Amino acid sequence: MSKRTILVVDDDIDLVEIIRVTLEHAGYEVIDAQTGARGLDLARERSPDMIILDVMMGEVDEGFQVAYQLRQGDDTRDIPIVMLTAVADQTGFKFDPDKDSDFLPVNEFLEKPISPRQLLDVVRKNLPTTI
Amino acid sequence: MGVDVTQHEKISVVSAHFVSAASLRRRTDWFIKLRWGAVLGVWLFSLGAALLGNLPLPLEQLLGLGALLLLFNIGCKIFNGRTEAIDIAAELNMVKVQMVVDLVLLTAVLHYSGGVENPFQFIAIIHVIIASLLLKGRQIFQIAWIAGGLFTAMVLGEQFGLLHHYHLLSASDLTHEWPYVLMAIVSLWMVLLISAWIGSRIMQHNRAIKDELVLRQQDLVAADRAQLDFFRFVTHEVKSPIVTAQSAVEAAREIGGADLSPTVRDMLGRAVRRLNLALTIVKDLADLTRGSMAGGPSLRSTDLKAVVAGVLEQQAEAMATQRLTLKTDLPDDPVHLRSDEGMLDKIVVNLVNNAVRYSHDGGTVQVALVVRNGQVVLTVRDEGIGITPEDQLRVFEEFFRATAAREMSDLGTGLGLPIVKRFTEQLGGSIELASRLGEGTIVTVTLPQAGPLRPSETEDQG
Repeated sequence: MSKRTILVVDDDIDLVEIIRVTLEHAGYEVIDAQTGARGLDLARERSPDMIILDVMMGEVDEGFQVAYQLRQGDDTRDIPIVMLTAVADQTGFKFDPDKDSDFLPVNEFLEKPISPRQLLDVVRKNLPTTI
Repeated sequence: MGVDVTQHEKISVVSAHFVSAASLRRRTDWFIKLRWGAVLGVWLFSLGAALLGNLPLPLEQLLGLGALLLLFNIGCKIFNGRTEAIDIAAELNMVKVQMVVDLVLLTAVLHYSGGVENPFQFIAIIHVIIASLLLKGRQIFQIAWIAGGLFTAMVLGEQFGLLHHYHLLSASDLTHEWPYVLMAIVSLWMVLLISAWIGSRIMQHNRAIKDELVLRQQDLVAADRAQLDFFRFVTHEVKSPIVTAQSAVEAAREIGGADLSPTVRDMLGRAVRRLNLALTIVKDLADLTRGSMAGGPSLRSTDLKAVVAGVLEQQAEAMATQRLTLKTDLPDDPVHLRSDEGMLDKIVVNLVNNAVRYSHDGGTVQVALVVRNGQVVLTVRDEGIGITPEDQLRVFEEFFRATAAREMSDLGTGLGLPIVKRFTEQLGGSIELASRLGEGTIVTVTLPQAGPLRPSETEDQG
């Protein structure tokens, strides 16, 4: 069985590197992109097992747009998406995946900062169990 | 003049609103009250003069004029009761019409009660003074001209025999000598015009002061907003590097695991703790600026009892660690108020947090919620370290931490109470703090169930 691949899309290079080290240490393969467009390309080319997506990249809602496009593509529709945000504090925006999954097509919505342990728990929880 | 153009424009805009339709309406309501007194005065004066003084005055005409004034006043009262004060120009016209009618009737009363002999001629000055409170510049003088003109016309009319002259008392013939008549006319004109001039100058000065105050107020509001915008920007920009640094240190701890030396582990632990504090400060700052964002609080029916219960549940672990006793006095029913749930939550979290953080181990924290007269009163009381009287004056200042608090804990941000105060005020409430050093602190937050007033409801039209 090959390593599970996780795509990290975030414009904070340091944070991408931290997530990479944490996930690689736990035995995952990590690919990354700094922009939404590059992330979409990589998602289509490499069909990762999971995508970790930052809400605010260049534009305020770039992450949301990427998530919608992923959900519309045939190859990418079923890839679990974990969304990271620093935005909840600024807007008072709270996401409830049970209620809001139609509105926001992601599996999990996490507010930064997340500890390495939290990150690994979320990844394990949302990865598909079969290959 | 040394006044730049924009400043000047601003001032003229402000001046235009010195009186509002509503404030003018209140003034005319007040005229109406005064006029009842005038009616009574005319009647009592005429009756008294006829019965007691046995003066040769035409009683029917004087009583009739009083009745006319009465009818006019009833008309004004009905008009004010039936119409809304909306248009400033329309209200100003009403003021002018009422003044002119009053002056005409006053002149008629004077005519039937001695004309130039009657010392009540100076009542016209009252109208000029009232005019200078409500009208501006030339309009004040117009009232003075009308008052003086009517008086002059009446006196000269009587003097030339065009109007009948009614003697007041057994007046001396001297009062019909030209020097006396001219002096009476000139003295009234002098007093009227000087009153108009003084009145307009005083009011001009008052308007300038008010304009200045309004402009300063606008500047202060703008400065406050700019400061909050700055906070918000800083908050956002500072948060992400802190978050990234924190993640890096935690990842290092996690990956290093058992291989890390105790010293390195200790250093990383200190870094995480300090980064946590920095993040808390940034989050508090975000809270502090949140309520002032466009739109303000989002108001809907909220159960404060549920919010309090939720917060107490979150704090249960911290209380257990410090072996604190929690005493609650909450109503059986939900406590609904029109409010912002997120802001209420921050208010309760910060108050309970403070009570817990600054309690001695084994102490008691009391939380009470009472509804009375449409007000919800939340009280959080601890038996902790307390605050000195000097520090109590400053605890609502951003970043201020009381001396005792700093000695007790390095985890406070100095932003908790400022947030509570700001949110409470934005929700239309008030906050009180009572404390004694070494004995504890009571914070009382009072909120209106109906929620904060809309800006239009708080505006003073006066």
